[in-house]
Amino acid sequence: MLKTLLYVNEDLASSIALRFTDYLNKFVKLSLYIIHVEEPDAKEQVGTGWVRRTWEDGVRSSGKRLVDRMLRTENIDCPLAGRPKIVVEESDFLGERKDREVVYELGNGMYKLFIKGYLDSADPEKFYELISSKLSTETSCPMLVVKNLSLSKKCALLCADSVDPKLLVEKSMDILGDSTFDLDLVFFKFKENEELRVLDPKEGGSYLRETEALLAERDKVVNNVTVLSGTPEQVGDYLKDYALVASTLPSRKSMRMYTLAHSLASVLLVG
Amino acid sequence: MKILVALDTQKYSRKIVKDVARLAQNTLADIVFLGVQAETAEPAEELTLALTKYQQDVYSYFSSDELPYGDLSQAKWQKEDKGDWLISAKGIKEFSLRIRSGGVAKQVVQVARDTACDLIILGCDEEFGCEWDGEMNVPLRIAEDAPCSVLVIKKSLAVKQIVSILDQSVVSQDALEMVNQLVTLYDAGLKIVGVQEKGGGKKDQIEQRMVELLRYYNEREVSGWVTLIDSEQVKKYVTNSSKEAIVALWMGNKQSLIKRLFSQSMVDKLLSTSRSSVFILR
Repeated sequence: MLKTLLYVNEDLASSIALRFTDYLNKFVKLSLYIIHVEEPDAKEQVGTGWVRRTWEDGVRSSGKRLVDRMLRTENIDCPLAGRPKIVVEESDFLGERKDREVVYELGNGMYKLFIKGYLDSADPEKFYELISSKLSTETSCPMLVVKNLSLSKKCALLCADSVDPKLLVEKSMDILGDSTFDLDLVFFKFKENEELRVLDPKEGGSYLRETEALLAERDKVVNNVTVLSGTPEQVGDYLKDYALVASTLPSRKSMRMYTLAHSLASVLLVG
Repeated sequence: MKILVALDTQKYSRKIVKDVARLAQNTLADIVFLGVQAETAEPAEELTLALTKYQQDVYSYFSSDELPYGDLSQAKWQKEDKGDWLISAKGIKEFSLRIRSGGVAKQVVQVARDTACDLIILGCDEEFGCEWDGEMNVPLRIAEDAPCSVLVIKKSLAVKQIVSILDQSVVSQDALEMVNQLVTLYDAGLKIVGVQEKGGGKKDQIEQRMVELLRYYNEREVSGWVTLIDSEQVKKYVTNSSKEAIVALWMGNKQSLIKRLFSQSMVDKLLSTSRSSVFILR
């Protein structure tokens, strides 16, 4: 069982994330925990001592009702391993506090996977904001960015010349190693083509061969190896047939980062 | 559901009959085939023959025990009014052939109003954009003025995706179902694209609409991919999407963001540049 923390808010992204987590549980057995950070209006924040504690209890109850509503509405089958954790955000930390609380919980709770909903956007900068935030860079475990409810039975490892094969295989297999997903390897080569082109697997070079060898060492069967040549938009669209796509966390704005931003499938960021 | 199909004797009209037949099979809709001709005392023979042929083609897609429409083979054209002729047969559902005299766009919109149609379907010639019998603005005027949804089929491509673009406006049940039918018809994927004002205005309402849509389609075992875009990106996004996918624009009321963004000239451009079909949903 993979100890997993899912961030829930009352929005479309969380609605999709809840349902996708439920779907994921059919392929990877999850021990699921939920966290929600309640963000009261700065003007509402009051006092110190018991006054503040009483006020916080009220805010926390409101957050609990929100999570209950979401769970009731989405009616997921995946059982929760514990009570949802509701954190009250303090105004002096503004948005950073939310990330900090989640990062703290992830480290403290020894979670193996963090799941967060992300409403897919045509603007890749928003995706970059997410993956360069504290939440992505300081978490102690891989993060699954749920973009869509793709009910596919296969997942892919996205390789490229900038992806360390050892890191990708080791960390992604910590999550997907025992899963019942069919596994594909997709190697991305950037080129401004009119249409997406599928190249000979030899074009993937040594990084692809090393990735295949590392998976073979772990007795993982790879169903398809595809080398794609195209733009991030074209490859992103190609990836929509997967339930999720795993890759290492891009450290900068690169073509691979843009590809993950344009992926309609959910993205598992490792490393 | 009632579907009005605007037809003439051109190749683009012949090519849409197969799609109409498959929609009729899936929806069991009442169907009206409408031909519009110049002002004459009698219906033109070429047009009556063409409409009859199209009707027979649609019937041929059904097995005899599944055909929901009545027999039209013995029916005679009846004059309903000046410049208005009709033949009709009723089975479980009604199938009508109608010919009217006058301007094409005006008559199509008028018949759609008079008969309370839910959907107008027409083809167009894609050689110079989206022409109807040499006139550029017929599909545009129908799309603009119709009281119901309009599907303009340019080319029966192997469409892989229906890109459904909406704002915060309320979405009608019929329009939801029509998109569902298109997904089934083309065995295509569905992308639900929410448009929000730059700066994030009404985001909650848009997300709420997207949640409703996603639930509706998931319940029908149709998976949809969702994306949220800013109003500034919408024209470029729609133009790019229309190269490969069928674009379905949800035109709401006067407050509708999409209605404001898609001025007449923009809908015209979309009709001209789209390679497949354009669906205006109301």
